[in-house]
Amino acid sequence: MRIGIRSTKARHTAPNQRFPAVFRPGRAGMLHLMLRNMRHMLHRSMIAQIGVLAVFWVLGEAIVRVSGLPLPGGIVGMVLVLALLASGRVRPIAVRRGAGWLLAEMLLFFVPAVMAILDHRELMGLVGLKVAAVIIAGTVMVMGGTALAVDLAWRWRMRGERNAA
Amino acid sequence: MLRDPLLAALFWSAVTIGAYALARLAHRRWRAWWTSPLLTTPLLVGAAALSLHTGYADYIRGTHWLVLMMGPATVAFAIPIYEQRALIRSHWPVLAVGVMVGSALSMSTAFLLADLMGLSQQLQLSLMPRSTSTPFAVAIAQDLGGTPDLAAVFVIATGICGAALGEVVMKAMPLRSSLARGALLGMGAHGAGVAKAHQIGGEEGSVAGLVMVLAGLFNVLMASAVAALLR
Repeated sequence: MRIGIRSTKARHTAPNQRFPAVFRPGRAGMLHLMLRNMRHMLHRSMIAQIGVLAVFWVLGEAIVRVSGLPLPGGIVGMVLVLALLASGRVRPIAVRRGAGWLLAEMLLFFVPAVMAILDHRELMGLVGLKVAAVIIAGTVMVMGGTALAVDLAWRWRMRGERNAA
Repeated sequence: MLRDPLLAALFWSAVTIGAYALARLAHRRWRAWWTSPLLTTPLLVGAAALSLHTGYADYIRGTHWLVLMMGPATVAFAIPIYEQRALIRSHWPVLAVGVMVGSALSMSTAFLLADLMGLSQQLQLSLMPRSTSTPFAVAIAQDLGGTPDLAAVFVIATGICGAALGEVVMKAMPLRSSLARGALLGMGAHGAGVAKAHQIGGEEGSVAGLVMVLAGLFNVLMASAVAALLR
């Protein structure tokens, strides 16, 4: 049993294995095998998956530039991927590892943008403190207000469902 | 040594990534808001830039590719959203209420509080999109007439502040649903809040991610209306 499992695994992990002399696939068969091997590679390689996501981002940017939509290209790319996932043409496993890495390390991509503060020394003094006060007070209000609204809406809906049942 | 643009790019990229790796190690060790990589990494990189007399223009020339990575990262949000589609399908009205209330609150509080503090109009307009994630905020700030790079700084300051205060606000309120906890972090602190929400729970994390994306979309739509109002 165990040997059987291992042998199928070996076939998947060694894409360049030679075919037995009796088995000569035609051109369509070769193409199919190549695509299947590429798919296996994609499922294992995080960098290839990041590349695929980057291709969708570039596609999104191109669509934004051509159509003049007032959206960031990344969002258009995200909608494209969502549509492909929903249609069942692409399975989430094909890009899950790459997506996980990008999302986990997202804070790194924010850092260079923060350094813009080097050119705004006026924010180092009193003005900076005022801005900080606006941000802190505003953020607490936004978080409190949003959570309250969502919780009230949720309780109201739950009650409606209970009454209906 | 840093006269050569390629060397400078390599140097500043290495400094940024190295500082980030250090900050992450420290955060894993102490797990407090003041060890958040969003706060400590800019401090380390800023200290390096100041001591080497490097301005923002020179710094960003070599590290712009890191900012561009935010594009693929935005695309990556498709996966958690798709995987939580059942949750979204059954609770979308509740989430829509949260996004609308939160977006209206974030723009109006920024506008009114900045007025109260007597800040310049340029700062006021750059503060307004601060509750959306950076790619949206930059687009909105341009729309409103603010300064995009200042808007990016305020967005990140909001993220640090929201990740630090999120749990305090959460404990102070009698919240029953994971939806409310996720929406609080996703709306109040965008990317940093989503990371925090994933630490609290899987459902909170995906709700926060979805709310962040929806809030960004809703803010972009609202910004053109607000821009017309302000003129």
